[in-house]
Amino acid sequence: MKYLFIFSLLFFLISCETDVTNDVTLNGAPPKLVINGGIERNQTTPKTSHIIELTTTINFLDQNEPTAVENATVTVNNGTEDFEFSHQGDGQYVNSEITATLGTTYTVTIQWNNDTYQASDTLIEAPSFDNIYSVFEEETLFTDQGYFVNFDATDPPNIDNYYYYRVFLNDVFTIVPDGGNSTTLIENDQFFDGQARTGVNPNEEVVFEIGDNATVQLLGITENYYNFLFQIFEQTGSSGFSPVGNPPPASVRGNLLNITNPKVRGLGYFYASDVTEASIIISE
Amino acid sequence: MSQITTLTQMKHLFFFILIVSFVASHAQEKYTLSGYVSEKTTGEKLLGVNITVGTKGAITNEYGYYSITLPKGAQTILISYIGFQNISREIDLQKSITLNFELEDNLDQLDEVVISGNSASKKVTSTQMSVSTISAKTIQKLPMALGEPDLLKSIQLLPGVSSVNEASSGFNVRGGSADQNLILLDEATIYNASHLFGFFSVFNTNAIKDLKLYKGGIPSIYGGRLSSVLDIKQKEGNTKKFGGEVGIGLISSKALIEGPLFKGNKDEAKGSYMIAGRRSYIDLFSFLNDEFKDTTLFFYDLNLKANYGINDKNTLFLSGYFGRDHFELNNFIGTVWGNASGTLRWTSILNDKLFLSTSAIFSNYDYTIDNLRSGSDFRWKSNITNYNIKPRLTWYLNTNNTLKAGIDYTYYNFKPGEISPLNGSVIQAEKFQEKFSTETGFYLDLKQNLSDKISLQYGARISNFNRKGNANIPVYENGTPLSYDDTQNIFIENEIIDQTEYKSGDNIKTFWGFEPRFSLRYLVDDQKSIKFSYNKMYQYLHLISNTSSPTPLDIWAPSGPFLKPQSADQFALGYFQTLKDDKYDFNVEVYHKSLKNTTDFIDGADLLFTENIETQIAQGDGRAYGLELQLNKNQGRLTGWLSYTLSRSERKIQSINNSEYYPTNNDQLHELNLVGLYKLNERWEFGANFIFGSGRPVTYPTGKYKQNGLVITDFENRNGDRLPAYHRLDISATLNPKPKKRGTWVFSIANVYNRQNAASIYFREISEVNDKEIATGRTEATKLSFFGIVPTATYRINF
Repeated sequence: MKYLFIFSLLFFLISCETDVTNDVTLNGAPPKLVINGGIERNQTTPKTSHIIELTTTINFLDQNEPTAVENATVTVNNGTEDFEFSHQGDGQYVNSEITATLGTTYTVTIQWNNDTYQASDTLIEAPSFDNIYSVFEEETLFTDQGYFVNFDATDPPNIDNYYYYRVFLNDVFTIVPDGGNSTTLIENDQFFDGQARTGVNPNEEVVFEIGDNATVQLLGITENYYNFLFQIFEQTGSSGFSPVGNPPPASVRGNLLNITNPKVRGLGYFYASDVTEASIIISE
Repeated sequence: MSQITTLTQMKHLFFFILIVSFVASHAQEKYTLSGYVSEKTTGEKLLGVNITVGTKGAITNEYGYYSITLPKGAQTILISYIGFQNISREIDLQKSITLNFELEDNLDQLDEVVISGNSASKKVTSTQMSVSTISAKTIQKLPMALGEPDLLKSIQLLPGVSSVNEASSGFNVRGGSADQNLILLDEATIYNASHLFGFFSVFNTNAIKDLKLYKGGIPSIYGGRLSSVLDIKQKEGNTKKFGGEVGIGLISSKALIEGPLFKGNKDEAKGSYMIAGRRSYIDLFSFLNDEFKDTTLFFYDLNLKANYGINDKNTLFLSGYFGRDHFELNNFIGTVWGNASGTLRWTSILNDKLFLSTSAIFSNYDYTIDNLRSGSDFRWKSNITNYNIKPRLTWYLNTNNTLKAGIDYTYYNFKPGEISPLNGSVIQAEKFQEKFSTETGFYLDLKQNLSDKISLQYGARISNFNRKGNANIPVYENGTPLSYDDTQNIFIENEIIDQTEYKSGDNIKTFWGFEPRFSLRYLVDDQKSIKFSYNKMYQYLHLISNTSSPTPLDIWAPSGPFLKPQSADQFALGYFQTLKDDKYDFNVEVYHKSLKNTTDFIDGADLLFTENIETQIAQGDGRAYGLELQLNKNQGRLTGWLSYTLSRSERKIQSINNSEYYPTNNDQLHELNLVGLYKLNERWEFGANFIFGSGRPVTYPTGKYKQNGLVITDFENRNGDRLPAYHRLDISATLNPKPKKRGTWVFSIANVYNRQNAASIYFREISEVNDKEIATGRTEATKLSFFGIVPTATYRINF
């Protein structure tokens, strides 16, 4: 949580940080399969293709990109039909035949290294924006001065809703490893069920300038995906450190299961999501 | 445990009382000598004073009262207490009489034995083992980390006591976790002993009279926690004259006043009072850093105590503690937390052999978090309150047998959380269910001298815990909140399918625990003894802390349908010896502890704002074992001690670390403390301590991958790696510019050679390029250290 992050910050008043990247030896572990990607329904800018990225883990202090997996077979089933994904290079598997529909549970099956992996997620409707606009904010302890994009949206009553917000700066998806992500980029309606919310800042770390193109996406996600995102945001925001406010570091469980050999787990999340999208040009 | 076996055990217990009665002998004509022992200048009652007649002896209890049964006739009584002049008195005992003694400070000697309230020889002769004491005087002379003498930091210089890092006022005893310590301030449970996120403890050393830390062989009068009991008593106040003390430091200042009550024109008052206060002002320095200029951060606390002697036999005590921490970042967050406690105690001498004390205690810990970010302002509140009644009867059967019996009843009310909107935000008010429970302990404790060589202290505690209504208890699918998936080695959260409604007063779940306690001392000769002890403890409250050390936001939770009580069995064996006429003493102890149903989080647990915490934690076994050595130098210009601890502390909980044993956060193989106090002359005194500890467990990443544009860290074994070793030297100097006058300076330098000890090493994605925050995909390892070299100065004045 952000508060806990702030408590940690306090310690920095009297503490000191030293870069020990070159002094630490990590034991490492055999590479694990990682999935990143999913099925999106976007009615504003409809997707022509769906992309699933497969990589394997590398040593934490290895400065290369995670190793791309190029020899897997990837199939997605929508309950009635199988769709093949073909490898387009760099571990990207692509399919342009799927039409994402609400309420559908999608299951991906991956064959790799003689193991079969599977993951499923359900596509849940996202509400539309009531309004989107830019606001100027002064500098605070945790945010820079500048223009931010805000939106208004009404939460559907009597349903548990889970949201994930994406922000694009001049069409480039932008995210910062920050302690606040677990409370700003994702939300559940536990405390605002059915309410019309105003002035929601989907990412406090992304500052715009006048003339920038700002795009906001609101994703309706499953509780399971929300929990996964919560854990990865909490982890990336705190870096697994803390004298206060963090569970002991542990591997974040995604939804990719190894059917053949359950103890050799897959990592990452295969999601299905409804995406509400809107763009504005930042002005005074 | 079933109710029937408990009843059987109760029968055994009563049988045991019968035996005790038989042990009482009736040979020759005997009379009882009883009374109080106090300090001459202040009238403060003295605890643990030796009353010796020939080979017979007694010690004053926690209220300064003693009772000793002696044969008829003339004899010499010797009253001795460390740091005080002995009193030797001839008496001719022809009937039972009351004699009060006043001891005078031993000013001639150069600060004899300041290190503990226990004399060297008593450590050898007492039946109790695994107990540590440190006097408030010593604590005030030791080097201080932040200009404030700190009780909890000081006890960490003793063998078997440590902490996870400097920012932790929580302490670990013999491998136990911080919530397994029972911290009592004038009998009231203190739930969170830290100020300012752990840099200070809540105990104002000025207001403290005595403290005792039991690490093992815990007598049956205490219960409810597995690892230790830290029993702290506040000063009662000067019964003779008004006085006080003011201390001014860089980070905090404090004041204490004390004096007689209902004095009239008599020499000794019927009562006395003590009031002490403390306030930190660390935030005054926040202007030094521009980013923190709108930050509020301070704590204050208030200690008070008063007593009134109704008559010779009855005394009333009232004591209280109130402490708060405030922390606010403008327009962002505000938190307030603290403890409050109050104790009303009545002690009564029923007759010269029966002493009754009854206490009624209130204790509360609460915290509030205000989220002040516009649009989603809310306030989150949480607290735990208890009401406690403890009647205890002490029966001085005869010189060789002292029996204590009592009841310890506690009613708990937990309010895990309540959220309410602030400043008109759309956040909806919500309240988590309150939880109610009662805990009752029935105990007997017998101290028995079997012969000149062998003494015993044994007894038992029968504990009962009831989780009570009203409450709606969830019914989970598969009958359990978490199902273990063997193939993946993980716990899977089950859905709530229904709930069971309990009305107010209904028992939801009842637990019984039988807790035998046993200590034995064998005196080899006057200088040497061997001791053995065993204790079984049950703990019904669990601290659900999502960190390795306590934080203000920790949640206490009662045992209940989904959370089993924790238990521990501890065996300890020790050898105690004095050397060179008590100038030195030495002891070595070995212990083994096995724990059941200790809690830890399942991987990926999420605790804040989680109502059903049973879905986030798993229970399993633990074990801890070790060896502790301590050598004390008690007399001379140089006093101090050297202690060494070799230990292991491990847990084994399904799903965590592949369900194999893993080291606990406080596991530390070697720990060495060297503490010295040197009195140069009347003006100058010096202190130093050196600490060495081998590296604590840490979990390093085993790999990384990417998800949604961020680098994600992967881990395998919990606590599978080690931080670098920890070491530090602190020094201090105390200056009395004009001896016999009232002002004192204390200068202190913590971490003299500026060692950057690793509080943590953490791993993260580099998130800044050219001053712009962005995910870079590159990763680094960073060491965090809390203190470099820290010089401080404090001025104290007594009046």
